[in-house]
Amino acid sequence: MAVSAVARLAVVAVVEAHDLYRTYRTSTGTLRRKWHNVEAVRGVSFEIQEGELFGLLGPNGAGKTTTIKMLITLLIPTKGTASVLGYDVVKDAREVRRRIGYVFGGERGVYERLSGYDNLRYFAELYGVEPKEIRPRIDYLLDLVGLKGREQERAEGYSRGMKQRLHIARGLLHDPPVVFLDEPTIGLDPVGARELRATIASLAAAGKTILLTTHYMFEADALCDRIAVINRGEIVAHGTPAELKRDVVEGAVVEVEVFGLPDGTVERVRDLNGVTSVSIEEREQAQLLIVQTQPEVELTQSILGTLDGASVGRISRREPTLEDAYVTLVAEE
Amino acid sequence: MKTLRLIWVGWKFHVKSLTLSGFFILTSVLQPIIFASVAYFMFRAGAREGTLLYVALGAGMMGIWSSTLFGSGGAIQWQRWQGTLEYCIAVPPPFLLVILPLTLATATIGLYSLTATLVWGRLFFSVPLEVAHPVAFIVALPVTVVGLGLLGLILASTFIMYRNANALSNLLEYPVWLVTGLLVSLSLLPFWVGPISWLLAPTWGINALRDAAIAGNAWPEIAMCLLLSAVYLVIGYFALQHFERLARERATLTLT
Amino acid sequence: MRENLRVFFIGGYLSYRALFNWMHWSYYIPTMLGAPIFQILFFAYIGRYAQVESDEFFVVGNAVQLSAMAGIYGMAMTVGGERWTQTLSPLLATPANRLPLFLGRALPLIANGIITSAFAFFVGWLLLDFELTWSEIPALAVVVAVSAFSCTSLGLVVGALGLRMRDVFFLANFVVYALLLFCGVNIPLDTLPGWMQEVANRLPLTHGIEAARGIAGGSSLSDVSGLVWTELGIGAAYATAAFVLFKLFELEGRRRASFETI
Repeated sequence: MAVSAVARLAVVAVVEAHDLYRTYRTSTGTLRRKWHNVEAVRGVSFEIQEGELFGLLGPNGAGKTTTIKMLITLLIPTKGTASVLGYDVVKDAREVRRRIGYVFGGERGVYERLSGYDNLRYFAELYGVEPKEIRPRIDYLLDLVGLKGREQERAEGYSRGMKQRLHIARGLLHDPPVVFLDEPTIGLDPVGARELRATIASLAAAGKTILLTTHYMFEADALCDRIAVINRGEIVAHGTPAELKRDVVEGAVVEVEVFGLPDGTVERVRDLNGVTSVSIEEREQAQLLIVQTQPEVELTQSILGTLDGASVGRISRREPTLEDAYVTLVAEE
Repeated sequence: MKTLRLIWVGWKFHVKSLTLSGFFILTSVLQPIIFASVAYFMFRAGAREGTLLYVALGAGMMGIWSSTLFGSGGAIQWQRWQGTLEYCIAVPPPFLLVILPLTLATATIGLYSLTATLVWGRLFFSVPLEVAHPVAFIVALPVTVVGLGLLGLILASTFIMYRNANALSNLLEYPVWLVTGLLVSLSLLPFWVGPISWLLAPTWGINALRDAAIAGNAWPEIAMCLLLSAVYLVIGYFALQHFERLARERATLTLT
Repeated sequence: MRENLRVFFIGGYLSYRALFNWMHWSYYIPTMLGAPIFQILFFAYIGRYAQVESDEFFVVGNAVQLSAMAGIYGMAMTVGGERWTQTLSPLLATPANRLPLFLGRALPLIANGIITSAFAFFVGWLLLDFELTWSEIPALAVVVAVSAFSCTSLGLVVGALGLRMRDVFFLANFVVYALLLFCGVNIPLDTLPGWMQEVANRLPLTHGIEAARGIAGGSSLSDVSGLVWTELGIGAAYATAAFVLFKLFELEGRRRASFETI
């Protein structure tokens, strides 16, 4: 205990979020407006250490984008504080902006009428890249993201994937020590996504501190040093991928493919000793019965016994994955 | 120095972007030509003696104002729609240095209007294009553009807050044309319009252009235009800061 | 028949509401009421400065033109707006008779136009040298309604062309400016070159404005009835042209599946 406390004092967190809240006011109706508050982020706190690749994982609408926008100074928190490299995101916004890069991605966000190169040139200027550095830096980044040769074309002609890459190049123009990526692989084809993940990993290896949001569990699992799971505006778990898997889902997962699940099976399985949770996934012709069991327990025969003689297809027993942990976490309320 | 570079690069960038936007150019050229034609016909039918160059300049200025107005409000809205507004805010330089090149660019595009109305007038209405004091004229032009660009800056700062900025911007077209005396001598308007007009850069701009082109001393007006520009700059800076912060608080940057 | 009437009223009301749903009243009212004031003042003062015609000339001309503006933008937006909200295809697929459908849209726009021009006349009376006697008002209302109708028809043509073009708003803007130039709104028609007068006589608004000026100058409705009928006829002609265009483009659109491409 004492050792870890000392260790913590010596390391200053690069990104800190303390009890962040963000509420939106929205209205419905035209003539008689009704206002109500939507709490998108409710008391989010976490820290990211230097050189870490930190993942913020959660379903759509969980508050990931809102959280990240507060950290990159685009939104002012309703409550709470946050800082990047010691600079407060509200009071020292300018200092923060100098030192961060962010990538939002998506179809929008580029100047359509101008070329990819012009877009980068403009933002290089805005980010204060030294004039002699601009050309070589842009060339390097175009190469890195795979847009070399297409940079003189108008951005409006870029495919979604190309625009995404342009966003990434833009985020890295001034070689920021901290990079925020909001669902960067969305919209990319599998090959492109894989290449991008490799790029992100290499950025982390080069010493950059990265915050990555995603709703792909396998992506978070594969890339991140630590993960925070966010659901409905709150952090529901955090730790390394291994810790999460261990803490939340222990034991094993038994999957049984059943053709025509008999009534009452779920209850019967749940009643079995050693079962932590039961869920069903509908497939086309069959149902997949997913049973999470405690460790060291062998329940396959007992589970089969509850099936009342229904036809059974594939049976497997496996380690819990982060997906199982995640599903449990965001399902619990 | 770095600031000037940023403004220069930004200005070039936006001029290019706007020029390549067909719709914007057409409204910067087509609308002024039509309004200019209406003005030419009216003055030709009227009893007042005077040079049509006066009309040409006034109509051209109308175009510069429309460009600035539509450009500043429309540009913010268009950036919001294009998704680039957020990216422009979360950059290190103060927001002023991001928006200023944009409003200057839209005012510059207004020069297309001026050129178009002068050429049109020459071609179809025999407008004499002799300028009495060329040097003053050459100086008055960019000074006017800067003055209008900075007035556009103040407008832009208001528009960044409100999603339906375009509606308000449309409302300011006729009033400013009227109150700055582009086609009408201010002496005809009620006395209280005078002070209002003095606060607006186009008033001094058009007077400078007229004096340089037709007869008179443009330099005092050029000076006034520059002075007003400085005032606008200061107001614009504070207004932008204030409104940008409000936009971040109320999350109106992305709403389309 | 009853079916047609229903389509006429309900369809019109609903689409009017749908289109203006995104326009809050704080945006709508300034636009509809604010703009006329300054347009009239602007041209009237130029008129005074250039010493051409009288205040009455400009008030009447612009008041009638303003009633028409709503028709053109509104109609163009009806089609343009449909396209944007992807309702065009299913709409054209309904068996509802097109005539009552679109006339249903036209009615609120004409009413809108009448209100706008009434306000414009009021502004003219209040701020400029313009008088109206009570007896002249009903006659003016008729002329304004007819002019608004014929401009709405023109708006329908613009909307029809909008099925083919990418940018219907630009065309609508251009048409409104063209009317401002040709139809004698602010320029005495006889001072325009001959060919422009020819064009003007084939456009909506020209005869309506002339009739309105006649009434403001003391003529009765029957005195200007010829002009009013001409205006109505022009409106009917444009409406017909629009329907022909719709049929043509619709057939072509079905063939090329191009309705949804914007």
